Amino acid sequence: MSLLETVDVKVKFGGNVALNDVSISVEAGSVTGLIGPNGAGKTTLFNTITGLQPLTSGKIVFNGKDVTKEPPHKRTRMGLARTFQRLELFTSLSVRDNVRVAGEIRNRWSFRTARMDVNAETDRIIQLVGLADVADREVGEIPTGQARVVELARALMIQPTLLLLDEPASGQTEEETEQFGELLKDLARNDGLGICLVEHDMALVMKVCETIHVLDFGIIISSGTADYVRNDPTVIDAYLGSPESVG
Amino acid sequence: MQTFLQYTILGLAIGGSYFIAASGLVVTYTTSGIFNFAQGAIAMIAVFTYWQFRWGWNWPAPLALLMVLGVLAPLLGAALYQVVMKNLRGTSEVTKIIVPIGVMLGFQALATWVWNPTSSTPRQFQKFFGPNAFVHFGSIKVSWHEIIAFVIAIAIAVGIRLLFVRTRSGVAMRAVVDDPELLQLNGGRPERLAMISWAGGSFLAALAGILIQPMIGSAMSAGQLTLLVIDAFAAAMFGRLRSLPRTLAGALVIGITTTYVIAYFPSKWTWASSFRNSLPMIFLFIVLIVLPQDRLRGATVLRLRERFRMPSIRTAWIAGLVLMVVVFCLKVIMERTAVNTLTLALTFAIIALSLVLLTGFAGEINLAALSFGAIAVIVVYHFGTTGSGSDARTTLWGILLAAVVTALVGAVIALPALRLRGLYLALATMAFGVFVSRMVLTERNERDIFGLKFTIFTAGQLTIPKPKIGPFDFNSPDAFLFLCAGLFAIIGIGMVYLRHSGYGRRLAAMKDSPAASATLGMSVVRLKLSIFMMSTAIAGIGGVMMAAQIGTVNSDRFDILLSLSLMMITVVGGIGYISGALFAGIFLIAFVQMLDLTLKKFAVDYSSIEAIFLFFVSVVTVLPATIGITMGKNPSGAVSEILNGLDQIKQSKPLVITLVGLEAAIWALAATDVITNWHFVILTMVNLFIVPVVGGKVLLARAMRGVPKPVPPELVGIDRPFTFDDLAEMDRALDLEGVVVPSAGTVREGATGVSA
Repeated sequence: MSLLETVDVKVKFGGNVALNDVSISVEAGSVTGLIGPNGAGKTTLFNTITGLQPLTSGKIVFNGKDVTKEPPHKRTRMGLARTFQRLELFTSLSVRDNVRVAGEIRNRWSFRTARMDVNAETDRIIQLVGLADVADREVGEIPTGQARVVELARALMIQPTLLLLDEPASGQTEEETEQFGELLKDLARNDGLGICLVEHDMALVMKVCETIHVLDFGIIISSGTADYVRNDPTVIDAYLGSPESVG
Repeated sequence: MQTFLQYTILGLAIGGSYFIAASGLVVTYTTSGIFNFAQGAIAMIAVFTYWQFRWGWNWPAPLALLMVLGVLAPLLGAALYQVVMKNLRGTSEVTKIIVPIGVMLGFQALATWVWNPTSSTPRQFQKFFGPNAFVHFGSIKVSWHEIIAFVIAIAIAVGIRLLFVRTRSGVAMRAVVDDPELLQLNGGRPERLAMISWAGGSFLAALAGILIQPMIGSAMSAGQLTLLVIDAFAAAMFGRLRSLPRTLAGALVIGITTTYVIAYFPSKWTWASSFRNSLPMIFLFIVLIVLPQDRLRGATVLRLRERFRMPSIRTAWIAGLVLMVVVFCLKVIMERTAVNTLTLALTFAIIALSLVLLTGFAGEINLAALSFGAIAVIVVYHFGTTGSGSDARTTLWGILLAAVVTALVGAVIALPALRLRGLYLALATMAFGVFVSRMVLTERNERDIFGLKFTIFTAGQLTIPKPKIGPFDFNSPDAFLFLCAGLFAIIGIGMVYLRHSGYGRRLAAMKDSPAASATLGMSVVRLKLSIFMMSTAIAGIGGVMMAAQIGTVNSDRFDILLSLSLMMITVVGGIGYISGALFAGIFLIAFVQMLDLTLKKFAVDYSSIEAIFLFFVSVVTVLPATIGITMGKNPSGAVSEILNGLDQIKQSKPLVITLVGLEAAIWALAATDVITNWHFVILTMVNLFIVPVVGGKVLLARAMRGVPKPVPPELVGIDRPFTFDDLAEMDRALDLEGVVVPSAGTVREGATGVSA
C-alpha cells in the first residue's frame, strides 16, 4: 500500500480543467519527483493533497484512509506536511520562532505522551538543515534560498510521515542544492519519510528521485524511474515542444 | 388582501432601493477589492445635497436630479478613488476596511456640520411628483415613487448584468480584482476601470438614497441614512459580493419582510419596531451562517507595507511604570474636570486594548467594541452591584461575570463569521453593534424572560457605581484614575507577555499565513474564537470602567459610530502596539475635547473673530476622520513613526536629558501654579515635538561632519572609483549574499536539462 495515492483527481476552475484525472502515488522511505512545465498543475495538485483546494471529483488516500473530505489541519495531524512555492513564512517572527511555533502548534494537537521538547527539537532541526547562522534574524531579511529551507525546517517540526516540497531548491546556490539533495535522501532513507518533490532543477530531481511523475496541462504524461522519464519522447515533446508545432 | 398587496408593493420598492445600493457595493468591490463602508454615507450626502437643491433653493426636480446623480455623485466617487482608495493596494485587509470607515465618519461629521440637525425646522423630503401622486389599481393605490423605485431597480439589475457579461470593459472590470497586473499586461487599464466603477458605485448609492428617503420617513437623519448601508450589506452578502441576481433576490426579501413586520405584527408587541429595524442585521447573520467555508488565505504580508515590532517584556514593565508616574504627575497639577477627562480617556484606552489584541496580534476585526462594552454594563447593572445610593459599589465578581458573559456573547456573534474572510467578521460585528443599539438598548419595557421579570435598559439609562475590590474602595476620582491607569498597564503588560508566549506566536503565525498555519495542523477557527473571546472580555471590562467613570450612561455612549471612531483612531495610533491603544483613548477623548474647549474659549475671549474659531471647532469634528483617511499612506500608524523618531533620540544622552529635564521644569512650574494648565499643555507640546526634531537635526549635522556625501550607486565609478565596499553593498541590495560566481565549467542545468 502506498503512503499517498491520488485517485483520478480532477479540479476545474470555471471551464478550465487544471487537473484531469491525475493518479499518482508516493511511497514511504523514498523520494518521488513531480515535474512539468510552468502552469502544468503541480502546485494545484499539492493544494488538493493538503486540502487547501477542493476537488471537482476523485479522491485522496493517505495512509490507507480516504481524506478527501478532511480539512487541511486534520490531514496534517495524520502526518502530512508541506512547503509552499510562494513562501508562506510567518514574517512577524524570527527564523527560530518560525520553526519553534510549528512545534508549539504540533504540541497543541498531538497526544500528551507524544509532546516534544520544543526548544530542544527546534535547535536540532535548525542544526540539521543548516540554519544556525541565521536563526536569530528576521525571516524577511534572509535570502530566498534560505527562506525555503526555513519552510522545510518548519514542516519537519511536526514530524510528518509524508513531506510535500514545492520547488524547495529555487533560489538556492549550487552548493546549497547539493547539500539539500543529500538531506532529502537522508530523510527518506534514515527516517523513512515519504517525500514528494516538485522541482525545476532537473539535476536535483534526477539525482534524488526514485520515481518521477510528469505533469503537463493537468495530465500525467509519464511516470517511472529517472532513466525512463528522461528518455520518454512525450516528456521531451512537452518540454521542448513537438517537432510538428515547431516546423 | 388589500393590506397584503399594499405592503408587498412597498416592500418591493424598498427592497429595490436596497438592491441599487447593494449593486454599487458589488461593483466597487469586484473592481477595486475594497468594500465600501462609506456607501451609506455617500447616499446620505447625496440626499442632503438633493434636498438643498430641490427644497432649500427650490430648483426644479429634473435639474436637481441631474446635478446630484449626473454630476456630483459620480465626481465624488471618482475623486474618492483617485485621492484615497487608490493608495490602498498592497495594504492589509484591516487598512482596507478602516479607510472607507474613515470616509464614512468624515461624511457623517461633514453633514452634521453643514446641515446642522438641531437648527431650524426639520427638513422634509418628498416623493417624486409630490406626496399625493398615486396610481390606482382596483382598490389599491400605489405611489408613483414606489413604482419608479422598483422599475429602476430591475433596469439596473439587467443593465449591470449586460455590462459585466457582454461588454469588453465589463469583462475587464471583473478581471481587475482577479489579477490587476495580468490585466495590465494584456492592455487593460485597471486604475481607470476601478475609478469608473467607483464613480458608478457612488451614483448608485446616491440614487438609492434619494429613492429610499421618502419611503422610510420624511424627516432626514444623517445617522439613519448612513447606516442604511447595513441593509445593503445584507443584500450584497446574499450574492456573496459577486452574484447580482442573488443580491436582487436578497434585497427584495429584506424589503418585503420589513414591511410585513410593520403590517402584521400585533401593535402590543412593543419590540416590533426595533425588530423591524434590526431585520437586516438578523438577515446578515443568517447569511453568514449559511455561507460555505472560504478557502484559506495565504500570506500577503510579505508584500505588505506594515510591520509591527513587539517590545520586550522588560520594556513593557518600564513603560507601565512610566505611565503610572506620568498619570500621578498630571493628577497633581490638574483640575477635577481634567482628571475626569483623563480617566475617561484611559477607560477608552482599555477598550482600545481589546482591538490591539484582536487586530494587531491576530489580524481579525471587531467594529463594535463599545457594543460589547454595553453588554458588560447591562450585566453589571443587573447582577454586579451591592449597596444603594451613595454606598452603591460595583463588585469584583460583577466585573468578572460581565467579562465572562461578554466573552460568551462574543463567541456567539463571531462563530458564524470565523470560518470566513476577515471582512465578514467585521461585518458581523458591525451588524451586532447596530443590533445592540436598535434592539437591546431600546428595551425599556419590563419583560418576562423565563419567569424572570426585568427591564434591560431601565428608563433609557443605567447607573453604574464605582468599583470596590476587596478592601480597596475606588469611589474617589483619584483612586479611580489610578485604578484605570493600573488596569491599562496590567492588561498591556499581560498582552506583551502573551505575545512572547507560544500562544502569541501561534497568533502571529495565524495572522501572517492562515494557510501555512493550517498545514501545520492548527485549528484556525478555534484559535480565532479564543482570541475573539479574550478581546471582547477586555472590551467588556473597559466598557464597565467607562460607565463607572461617567456614572449614568445612556445608549448614545455605546453608539456604533463611536466604536468605529475608536477602531479607526487605534489603527492610526498603531494597531500593533499597546501605545496605539493609549493614543486612541487620549486622542479620541482628551485631545479632541481639549481642542474643542480651547477653541470655544478663544471664541468667547475674542468675540470679534468668533466665527473663525467656531469654524475650527467644526473642523475638529472632522479631524479624526481626516486622519483616518490618510492611513493608506502610512499603514503602520502614527505612534510607530513617533517611536522610530524617539529611537534615534535614545542614542543621544544629552538630548534625552534635555527633553526630560525641560519637561520636569515645565511640570514644576505648573505644580507651583506659576503657569496655568493651558500653558503646561502648550509648553509640553513644544517640548515633545520641537526639541526632538531640532535636536535630531543638530545631532545628525554633527555626526555627518567629515563624512563624505553618499554617492548614488549608478554614479559609483563615475563620481569616484569603485571599491570593494561598493561590491559588498550591491550584493546585499541584490540579495546575492553567498552566491558563488560560476566559472565556465560549472553552469547549472536549467529546467530544460531533461533532454540532455
